[in-house]
Amino acid sequence: MSSGTFAHIPDLPLMTHYAENTRSVFSGVSPWSKIVSLILIVVLVTVLRSLTLLLLLYGAIVAACVLARLPLKKILLWYTLPVLFVISLVGLLAWGEPGNPVFFWSFIGIPLVLTDAGLLLIGVLLIKALIVVTFSIFFLMTTRYNHIAAVIDRIFPDPLNQIFLLSYRFLFLTIGMTAALLKAVRSRGGGLIRSIRIQGQIFAQVFALTFIRSLDRADRVHAAMAARGYHGTYATAHEIPAPSYAGMIFLAAAAAGTILIVLATGISSPGGFL
Amino acid sequence: MNNLKNPCCYPPPAPDGRAELIHVDCASHVYPNGSVGIHHMCFRVMEREIVALCGRNGSGKSTLIEHVNGLLRPSEGKVVVNGQTIGSDQTSDLWKDVGVVFQNSDDQLFAPTVLDDVMFGPLNLGMQREEAHNAALSALSAVGAECLVSRLPGYLSGGEKRLVSIAGILAMQPKIIALDEPTSDLDPAHSRIVENLIRKLRDVHGISVIVATHDLDLAARLADRVCLVQNGSICAEGSPEEIFYNDEVVQEAGLLHPEVVRIYRAYCERTGGYGRKHPLTVEQLIDALIV
Repeated sequence: MSSGTFAHIPDLPLMTHYAENTRSVFSGVSPWSKIVSLILIVVLVTVLRSLTLLLLLYGAIVAACVLARLPLKKILLWYTLPVLFVISLVGLLAWGEPGNPVFFWSFIGIPLVLTDAGLLLIGVLLIKALIVVTFSIFFLMTTRYNHIAAVIDRIFPDPLNQIFLLSYRFLFLTIGMTAALLKAVRSRGGGLIRSIRIQGQIFAQVFALTFIRSLDRADRVHAAMAARGYHGTYATAHEIPAPSYAGMIFLAAAAAGTILIVLATGISSPGGFL
Repeated sequence: MNNLKNPCCYPPPAPDGRAELIHVDCASHVYPNGSVGIHHMCFRVMEREIVALCGRNGSGKSTLIEHVNGLLRPSEGKVVVNGQTIGSDQTSDLWKDVGVVFQNSDDQLFAPTVLDDVMFGPLNLGMQREEAHNAALSALSAVGAECLVSRLPGYLSGGEKRLVSIAGILAMQPKIIALDEPTSDLDPAHSRIVENLIRKLRDVHGISVIVATHDLDLAARLADRVCLVQNGSICAEGSPEEIFYNDEVVQEAGLLHPEVVRIYRAYCERTGGYGRKHPLTVEQLIDALIV
């Protein structure tokens, strides 16, 4: 899935491979610490408006990715979809922002002005999205699957935890099936893009087959679970490592810093540093 | 031929001290789409016995296995497992007595890790977590897969997945284990490991084993009794020697004789006449040829 046409789509099996096999300073950090960090980051990203501070935060997360020996080139490719998503939304709003004109364009008699404030809005929202995306990737690529599963099991109530746990496993099966189908298409000279051009139905066929096979597989998985007495609940077996003392001190400091920033943001003027 | 015909009403168990664990009595099953899964199926499994269900694809082997586990209920007839009778309108807890190892291990291994998956059955049996954990470790050790305990099922090889699937059933300590095509898709080394493990289930753990397979060589090496399945019914049953040296029943079931049988017969034809021996394994074949 990760090669060629699909290099821009986050590769879940590759992420899991890194989480399972790469040992770095972050592998031993408790998943709880990472989740609390993610929550603090989401809060910060929500309240911060300063591009400088956001860039500093983004730089810190990228530095963490480097320390964790994650593949930055691949992560950059995975930015494609979030970047497109943000630009498709903010790209329209940015044209109406008041400020110093940077670019002027007339479209069928309607004047369109892009100001410095509009560009800043695009930059700020883009960097906010990338902060959350990068940290989420960092979390998934440095946390073992059994810990993620156990965290999901603990956090979500029944039946949401069951749905999440089964969906996560099922996602791998579906990705595997799609990859196998595409391989079969390629093995006979086809290709998703090429085949769409030559034979428009192929795209729909591949995805329809994936869904049909997924349903069939789901049916078999359920039968196999029922054969072992499944009646609607199962729990993960693994304990989640608790945060270390150093981790707790870091989290306490980060939480205090976040609260201070939130409070400061509340009393600062709209155009202020924060 | 006639004496190998499957009787629809079995006589009482032979007085050799072994109990009858499964008795499928003239069971039929029709799927919702109208296709017939099994038809007047009569089948039984005794204590500490390996029974091979041999037949072509779609002959009804898997449907029969799903009946003895309680996944399917017969439309007609009844299934008796360890004294528990299941008819067309009764729910069952047969899964507690009969474990099923599915043909495709990916269907069976759904949990995040090997340990989670192997603990799944014991927890459903009502074991406490500690007890289930110990049962899982013990089962993994029994199949030689204790090193896989923290691995992710998706990253295991085909052979490792099969061993973990068997451990997931063994951890539930069933009286009977049914394996659907246990060596399909496995390399020879892993096939041999699984084959030895099946013998160990019977000899060490005292578990009766049902092996559904179209690999007649495997059935010849492994089974105490062979049932040939065709069109949803058992068309013949007997010892491996009785079945695999009987052209009529093998051909009627649409199967080919095991490799050893074919080689031995070809050898006998070249050298003139059939020997008195009926080898079923390579070792027996060598002995027969040397003599």
